[in-house]
Amino acid sequence: MTFFTVVVRGLIRRPVRTGLTLLGISIGIGAVVTLVGMSWGYEKSIGKQLDVIGIDVVVSNMSGGLMPKVFDDTLQDKVAALPKVADTTTVLMLMLSIEDAPMMMVSGREWGGFTWEKLEVLEGRLPKDDKEFAVVLGKLAAEVLKKKVGDTVQIEADELPVVGIVDGHAVVENGAVILSLSVLQEISSNQGKVNFIDVRVPEGTSEKEVVELCETVNGMFPEGRAKLASEVVGTSQGYRLARAMSWSTSLLAIIVGVLGVMNTMLMTVFERTHEIGILLAVGWKRRRILYMVLCESALLGFLGGVTGVGLGALGLKILEYTPAIRGLLEPDLSPKLLLTSVAIAVVVGVVSGLYPGWRSSRLSPSRALNL
Amino acid sequence: MNEASKGVGSVVYEARGLKKNYDGGQVAALRGVDFDIREGEFVAIVGPSGCGKSTLLQMLGSLDKPSEGSLSYRGRLISDLEDPSDYRSAEIGFIFQSFHLLPTFTVSENVQIPMFETGLSRGEREVRAHELLESVGLAHRLKHFPSELSGGERQRVAIARSLANRPSVLLADEPTGNLDSENAAHVVELLLKLHRELGMTMVLVTHDLGIAALATRTIRMKDGRVVDETTPLTHAS
Repeated sequence: MTFFTVVVRGLIRRPVRTGLTLLGISIGIGAVVTLVGMSWGYEKSIGKQLDVIGIDVVVSNMSGGLMPKVFDDTLQDKVAALPKVADTTTVLMLMLSIEDAPMMMVSGREWGGFTWEKLEVLEGRLPKDDKEFAVVLGKLAAEVLKKKVGDTVQIEADELPVVGIVDGHAVVENGAVILSLSVLQEISSNQGKVNFIDVRVPEGTSEKEVVELCETVNGMFPEGRAKLASEVVGTSQGYRLARAMSWSTSLLAIIVGVLGVMNTMLMTVFERTHEIGILLAVGWKRRRILYMVLCESALLGFLGGVTGVGLGALGLKILEYTPAIRGLLEPDLSPKLLLTSVAIAVVVGVVSGLYPGWRSSRLSPSRALNL
Repeated sequence: MNEASKGVGSVVYEARGLKKNYDGGQVAALRGVDFDIREGEFVAIVGPSGCGKSTLLQMLGSLDKPSEGSLSYRGRLISDLEDPSDYRSAEIGFIFQSFHLLPTFTVSENVQIPMFETGLSRGEREVRAHELLESVGLAHRLKHFPSELSGGERQRVAIARSLANRPSVLLADEPTGNLDSENAAHVVELLLKLHRELGMTMVLVTHDLGIAALATRTIRMKDGRVVDETTPLTHAS
């Protein structure tokens, strides 16, 4: 028999209660995994999109909601004239309700810009020119909207034919409705407006030089921000709000978890007062009693964490396929998130066991034995 | 405690003016008790229910503290011990009337429980538990749970557990109180054997004057006081 055996016996003596507590922690940790996984997934998905297209710097005004505010597309020429800029292209990106889909990314791209380069045509074709009133659908967007080449898609008040289905090699690209910039500007009444200037720098440009470029652009465009592609999502207020909400909801779930485990451990300690008296009588040190209770609660947390990670992963998979989310983001199920969640669960367990453990270690052996 | 410091017949326990009050002094369990217990003695404490004999035994085992007076073990005040659990673990073996076995642990595991404080390896703990249970005639019950044993067997497990850390003092509180006469006789025989073969100092609280007569000395208590001490004829030299 090892000390671990003693700890496990403490938990399995009341299997139903232990099981219910585990379920409580699992749901809490499942919520953490799901919410944070969505938040991190959004960041990762945008990051991957920028990476696939080959964008080094994004110029935008991120002070708005989930999508940045629009600004005059004349800024593009000024940015393009700067040293250490190899190429630029403008994008008007809008989040719109398209037919039955509650929210989709609609991406109007400057005709001939490098944002069209990586789109692989699976069916049909790309628009013929920047004047053609037509869209291509990312392959996930086509699935969500249940459209094929030859169908039409209603955007705002206009019906546009689908001329192609494309693979953009990133979830956000594949979940988008893509059309020429001038067409989207016209149908959304945003003539001459864009909300992104995507910038490529020459190969071999150092990060320091890219940062300097960003600072120069910021001087020209005080209300906007030029950001390294890797930092662009974190500066979005909408994203920061979503991240804060996911963590605060997770915190609530964690607090509920702490209370649940603490309640269980207090009940356990209360029920086992006599047993703890015996352990003290046969020479167990008070700190060993405390350690035993802490190990029990930590083990509860760990098991709840592992189960919760499973639940959370399942939740993320389900969410990934819901129409409202599909194509907008790829949930993050990274080892970092899973390990963080289990670590949170273990900390929840240990913190919850502190008070019950302290109480049990303070028991008077003679009184405990006489109960 | 090393063997040299013990000496043959040296004083193990010394109680002076020992008092114990409960409920803020409303209830006096001990009203000034004085006695000495020497190395290798088998002392029986007798008296009517409520006379304070179990309270006294708990103080000897540092499970409770005196309200007044002093109680020392081998010349050191028990109240001054930095960590009484060290004393309980290394020096004392407890046997209780209601056995106090842990119900969710097997017989072997119950005997191993006190050994966690000794630094013995898992294998050493298991071997020692097996040996102890063999010595009390329960080698065939290692994997059984206490609920599967008779009262006499449970008390023998408790005796094996009390010897787990090779203590020098055995404190027994009515060890035969919950047993029928046959099992009680077996338990008494076992305790006498331990006393005889291991030379342990033994303090036994009992109602049973027959068992008390087997002790080397009897302390009789009444109303929280020692009323007399006798040495049975069988042990008088």
